[in-house]
Amino acid sequence: MLLLAGAMAFAVPARAADVVLVTSATGGIPGLTVEEASQLYLGRRTTLNDGTPVALFDLPSGPTRDRFYELLTGKNPSQIRAYWSRQVFTGRALPPREVKSPAELTNLLTNDGAAIGYLPEGPIDPRLRVLLKLP
Amino acid sequence: MKWAIIPALTLWALAAAASDDRPALSLSGFATVGIVATDEADMRFTRVGMDRPGNERPDTGPDSVVGVQGNLRLGESSAAVVQVISRENTDGNYRPRPTLAFLSYEFTPEVTARFGRLRIPFFMQSDSINVNYAHPWVRPPEEVYGLSPFADLDGLDLLYRVRAGDTDIEFHPFLGTSRISLYPDTKARLRRVAGANLTLSRGDFSVHLGHAEAKLEINWQDPFYTTLAPILRSPDLRAFGGNEIVAQMSGDDGIVRFSSAGFHWDDGRWLVIGEYARRQAQRYANSAHAWQLTAGYHFGPVTPYVVIARHSQDEAVIGAEQLRSLPPVPEFDELRSGLAGFNASRNLAQRSITAGVRWDVHDNAAVKAEFTRARTADDAWGTFDPASEAAAGRMGGRSINMLSLSVDVTF
Repeated sequence: MLLLAGAMAFAVPARAADVVLVTSATGGIPGLTVEEASQLYLGRRTTLNDGTPVALFDLPSGPTRDRFYELLTGKNPSQIRAYWSRQVFTGRALPPREVKSPAELTNLLTNDGAAIGYLPEGPIDPRLRVLLKLP
Repeated sequence: MKWAIIPALTLWALAAAASDDRPALSLSGFATVGIVATDEADMRFTRVGMDRPGNERPDTGPDSVVGVQGNLRLGESSAAVVQVISRENTDGNYRPRPTLAFLSYEFTPEVTARFGRLRIPFFMQSDSINVNYAHPWVRPPEEVYGLSPFADLDGLDLLYRVRAGDTDIEFHPFLGTSRISLYPDTKARLRRVAGANLTLSRGDFSVHLGHAEAKLEINWQDPFYTTLAPILRSPDLRAFGGNEIVAQMSGDDGIVRFSSAGFHWDDGRWLVIGEYARRQAQRYANSAHAWQLTAGYHFGPVTPYVVIARHSQDEAVIGAEQLRSLPPVPEFDELRSGLAGFNASRNLAQRSITAGVRWDVHDNAAVKAEFTRARTADDAWGTFDPASEAAAGRMGGRSINMLSLSVDVTF
């Protein structure tokens, strides 16, 4: 029993750690590759491969955000923050806009068909559509 | 500064016309509070062209900085960026000045052009030299970064970013001019700057290559020059090439080249950074090369590291041949030693070893501590400034211990 509880304690965070990239269910973004997503979230691009400009959202700092960047870019939280400070203050790129909560993200994505964000995997609001699942 | 604000306000009005409800203006900033202390009372650490060495011990001048930035979106492809910083300057005050003030236009997803005030990207970390949070060190190693005190580029550049297989390529050509104050009343200027950088990134590894050339003007007004120049121009010395020596020391007809090659590896555990850089100056400044190698290890938020660095002179401002044109008689000994002092005061040659630690105490805040032991070359002041006139003659061949502490934040 203890062994099982121990195994579950490990198994649960591992499952919860999956992250999905989402957009508006009715929006104009048809799909997204891992490479497009990482180029966007590293500020190397502001558009999809077909030229569509995309607005990006970040969750507030916390485990989902850290896990998202780790899975997508292989960089840990300190590396990502140092990386972005260099991108921003050399005038190369602007970081994703930070929302206050997943609920706010859902509302913003619903109102902007050309925006993407990410959420922990789980039941997703029907107004949203999953573009990509990480890992 | 006014020239930067007026266009920014005009653009603000234009941005109001943007078609969506995404915010048009983003504000952000960075700051460092840092102190530096040396254990030699007559030697003060200084960063060429950046701070004014003072008598404060410890000195807050070399590293402390605050910067604020506004990014204004002007539709889907254009943006305006203004960044203003305040840090101690060579006049010893903190007057704010614009370090970015440009308009950018994205021609295609791969190509962005920028026009206005940009950062001069001579070496691997030059364009983020004020953003200490972005680096593991308290400051990028002065042995390498002291090779170019120039920081602003007034002109234009192009960022060409493509991906080939697993490799991200950034090609970054630039053109423009740059000005800086090296010493109170000493202005240095680069005209017709033309250069290009190439950065290749693949996973945890990136490589940088850069080269630039420019016309160089430096009109020295420091005590060495103002004392020596009238003597060299005197009728007695003309026959021995005095005017030619003055023309080598100061003026507006020089050429300078900067080259660098570096790499950066950070896999989340190991951190290794190396860079080699070179400055070739035809006159007014010496020619020198430098390298640094940094290795660190991430223990969670704590990253201890060591740095070894060396700066070597290739050719003094006044070359050996010119010095030999003075007759080898005792009457000229004082002048010769004055000229040697002029050369030494413009020679950063030294080697150093640093042990440091960066601690990411909070999201967007890092505390750093560094202990450096440096040894200046026999004919150089290194990255130090004499605390008194008497100390100026004994800067070469010295060992100095230095402690630097800083707190960096971004917001």
